[in-house]
Amino acid sequence: MTHTLAGMADGFAIVAAFAQLINAWEAKVIDTFTHIQTRLEVTPHLLRLGRLFSETVLIEVGGDEFYLTFDKGHIVSVVEGPSRKTPWRFALRTDSEALTKFWQARPEPGFHDIFGLVKIGRGRVDGDILNLVKNLRFFKEVLTLARAKEELVA
Amino acid sequence: MSIEPITGRYVTATMSGAPRRIYFEEAGQGRPVICLHTAGADTRQWRHLMNDAEITASYRLIAFDMPWHGKSLPPEGFETQEYLLTTEAYIETVLAVVDCLGLDRPVLAGCSMGGRIALQIAALHPEKFSGFIAIEASDFQPAWYDIDWFHRPDAHGGEMGAALVSANISPFAPNSERWNTLWMFMQSGPGVFRGDLSFYTKDDSLIPRLPTIDTAKTPVHIIVGAYDLTCTPEDAERTANAIPGATLAVMDELGHFPMSEHPEGFRPFFVDALEKMPSPAAKTT
Repeated sequence: MTHTLAGMADGFAIVAAFAQLINAWEAKVIDTFTHIQTRLEVTPHLLRLGRLFSETVLIEVGGDEFYLTFDKGHIVSVVEGPSRKTPWRFALRTDSEALTKFWQARPEPGFHDIFGLVKIGRGRVDGDILNLVKNLRFFKEVLTLARAKEELVA
Repeated sequence: MSIEPITGRYVTATMSGAPRRIYFEEAGQGRPVICLHTAGADTRQWRHLMNDAEITASYRLIAFDMPWHGKSLPPEGFETQEYLLTTEAYIETVLAVVDCLGLDRPVLAGCSMGGRIALQIAALHPEKFSGFIAIEASDFQPAWYDIDWFHRPDAHGGEMGAALVSANISPFAPNSERWNTLWMFMQSGPGVFRGDLSFYTKDDSLIPRLPTIDTAKTPVHIIVGAYDLTCTPEDAERTANAIPGATLAVMDELGHFPMSEHPEGFRPFFVDALEKMPSPAAKTT
């Protein structure tokens, strides 16, 4: 293979464009979680359901880590990883396409619920699963706050 | 004001050598159809079809609460028992109710664990019925969750159960019916959903019995929702394929509790299923 300056420049351009896309995607995910954080503050029944929930949850999307820290049902921080120093109670790991489908107003079968993602092999739940199950309604409804309000489903 | 045509009464049947007071509801006149509820729920799942005047004009729909469920009390001494439903006890209950009500070869329609037992009865006691409608029913489903989650001293099993089974409800379901469906799980008695799931997720005895079902004598129609994570269309298709002559319908926009979560969407599939059940009189001609 011959490496020319022009070829290398093209390569750098492609890498830069790819990095830009990745950054855009991560920013979009952060925006969505921030949107969820805002929506949660104006959703009284969820704040009531989550009043005993003070945990950090890891959401991993295609290898990118996002840490959502809850305090008495409020999301107090959304922090992008990676981090080896942030303890979390449970984790939901999925991929970007699956999460995009999950956030559609009426997802296709399997993408309509976090356990659906697990069942179809597009998601994994790790950590203290019993803690998740004890707070399952709250957590699932919080994640679906990114769906259109008029078609919100848990 | 409107008063619904559904009436509720109690019948005492003997099961396992002891009397059981069973609550049942019915509506309509004509050919009897026994309707079995899912795990962790009760007869209210059938309320929409029982209020459907066109269906009840020619069918007598009868739904009953299994012991421990709804308005059927658990047996005497339940306070020291661990509730674990078995295939044998479930079959005995269904047959006892049919006998007590004096029904002549009704159609048996059941959903989820009710569909599972309908298929068991199709294999073991077909002469008691004239056809089987197995909804969200499959040969066997191992648990994709820990059933012990739903009976613990430190958490509300009903609320956790409802949150889990909401995964099986279609996003096309009207929101009010989604929550009416989940409410039944929230009301379920302590350990009852777990005891039902024990039967549903551990007993695989139906698998070798499926090929013995004679659909020429008693038809079997299986209905499954695409949003059902517990009994997927693939599970239902595998089950239908194992029963010679069984038919299958897939509902693209429904989930695991179709008659309750989305009655309007389910209605045509149920009507179609009833039409596939030849009456006992027609069979002899």
